[in-house]
Amino acid sequence: MTTLTRQDLNFGQVVADILCEFLEVAIHLILYVREVYPSGIFQKRKKYNVPVQMSCHPELNQYIQDTLHCVKPLIEKNDAEKVVVVIMDKEHHPVERFVFEISQPPLLSISSETLLSHVEQLLRAFILKISVCDAVLNNNPPGCSFTVLVHTRDAATRNMEKVQVIKDFPWIVADEQEVHMKEPRLIPLKSMTSDIVKMQLYVEERAQKT
Amino acid sequence: MDELYLDNIDEYVNDHNKIVTYKWLSLTLGVHVNTAKQMLYHYLEHKRKESSPQLHATYLVSGKLEGNGQTCHHVSLVREDQLEDFKSKMSLIVSVHVYSVQKALLKDSGPLYSVDYDAVKDNLKNCSKYSSIRCTNAVPMSAAELQQFQDVQRAPPPVPESKTSVTNGNSSTASKPSSKPQKGIMGMFANKSAPKSQDNSKEVKSEQKEESSSVTEAVKSKQALKSNPVANFFGTQTKKPDKPAKKEEEVVALEQQHQRTAPEEEQEPAAMQSHKETKSDSRSKTKRTEVSDSEEEIMEKKKRRRIKRPEPDSSDEDVIPDSPPQLKTKEKSPEKEPEAVRPSHASSETKIRKRRKVLKSRTFLDDEGCIVTEKGYVSESYSETEDDFQSTKQAPHASIKAKTTSSSKDDEKKSHKKSSASSNKGTKQASIMGFFQKK
Repeated sequence: MTTLTRQDLNFGQVVADILCEFLEVAIHLILYVREVYPSGIFQKRKKYNVPVQMSCHPELNQYIQDTLHCVKPLIEKNDAEKVVVVIMDKEHHPVERFVFEISQPPLLSISSETLLSHVEQLLRAFILKISVCDAVLNNNPPGCSFTVLVHTRDAATRNMEKVQVIKDFPWIVADEQEVHMKEPRLIPLKSMTSDIVKMQLYVEERAQKT
Repeated sequence: MDELYLDNIDEYVNDHNKIVTYKWLSLTLGVHVNTAKQMLYHYLEHKRKESSPQLHATYLVSGKLEGNGQTCHHVSLVREDQLEDFKSKMSLIVSVHVYSVQKALLKDSGPLYSVDYDAVKDNLKNCSKYSSIRCTNAVPMSAAELQQFQDVQRAPPPVPESKTSVTNGNSSTASKPSSKPQKGIMGMFANKSAPKSQDNSKEVKSEQKEESSSVTEAVKSKQALKSNPVANFFGTQTKKPDKPAKKEEEVVALEQQHQRTAPEEEQEPAAMQSHKETKSDSRSKTKRTEVSDSEEEIMEKKKRRRIKRPEPDSSDEDVIPDSPPQLKTKEKSPEKEPEAVRPSHASSETKIRKRRKVLKSRTFLDDEGCIVTEKGYVSESYSETEDDFQSTKQAPHASIKAKTTSSSKDDEKKSHKKSSASSNKGTKQASIMGFFQKK
């Protein structure tokens, strides 16, 4: 049994890797399940030992990868509080917000016997929940788009503006209308607690989508 | 069956928003799969009557389906809205049953697998216990049977090998009446050595230089340990020479030839051996003080290893194609033989050692643990073959003697003598003689 702090072994990096990998899978799956993009651009892939859907559109994939690449340093420093996948209608008003709320324990303790297989099981449950979430959500209007928002802790925003992880791919402050939703309805999907991270996923859905 | 399960399923489907497959239900509730299918069917019927909010079902349909002019048996998962359509396409429907019930409208079959994944994983050892597919002939072995089976599987290979080795040995040594399997090795060496004796002597010299350097290093570290093992060794050795005396003549002849051939084999691997054996010897150190038999065994094992390495070389040479296998079989067979058999072999082994040890003693000498074995070599060779050695070529003797002296004397002396031994042979003999006199 070894106890590691955030400084040891770059543990924040490991957690960030795991989370960003998961977020990539989750974003693809959300786009597929919520039919933001036609199902024709999605292909079946295997992740966490179960089938998932992943987009084959190179530009979309690149965008998702770049976004998560910029999110990773925040997660490493435990500066990211929420990562939100917002689905917006034609007028750029959000209709659904998939909120991944992340919190990392200040003291990371990893027992050698559990390793990370348990985490994989938990993430698999997330994936499964996302894939059946349309049962609890209303259909979206046609012509939706999506964007990714990050809620940071403390003054991390200022650092983000100074340092661009990827050139010409800066973070900007989100518009008020993208963040706030009229008459939101809260739908909890899944939560997990593990040694390395706590995370919960819920959906804010606009009551009147059309 | 009471109707409670309907509430159960309703909770899973509506409250938990789960995909409930019959397999998952069977594993979760611990019921037979056929029962689980019926439960799902009843639940679905029940809900349809209530005209409750959306509920989606997946059906498993199997039957004959014609496609591309061929009729195949298809097993398909079909969504409810496509069920009738799909059924109409089939020429013969064997079975239709509810596969899963869920609130979500599934866009693909992926989640159906995912939902079963963890349930099956949790019951991996007995995930088929509720299945209706059975094979009465397939009875799992008990632990004892399994162990027995594994033993049997391991045992067979050595048995046939040992047999073959015996036959080969006899055939190769047909001229000699000995029935012992080890003769086969001797015979092989004899065949080999004849054509290449002269070439070998040169090669041997070059080898000795290399080996001597490595030997000295290893030996230095363990000078202190040597004295005791030496004493033990001589005590045991004095007894042994008597046994082999009966077959001295044969053995001697073989030894002479063998001495030439053996170094040749070792040439290439020699460098590597010196490193590896130092490691292996560390084990044997602890065993020095044990009975001479145990020491012998250790020595034998080491010998086998060495013999293996040179095989490729020997195969390249004039050796009869059958001979390389012989080496292998012999190496393995002794290990498998029960302890009771050992004593009978012991006498023959001592003979072999005389031959082999001379060959390999150099590398062994390097190793600390091998010191004991080395000593054994020295005594044997000199006691039996004094006359023969002198009469035969000096080259092999020189190498042997150098080793013997080195083992008995200090490390420093070894290094000098060995290096000199490779160049000068007369001095070596003198040193050996001196050694014996001391004793």
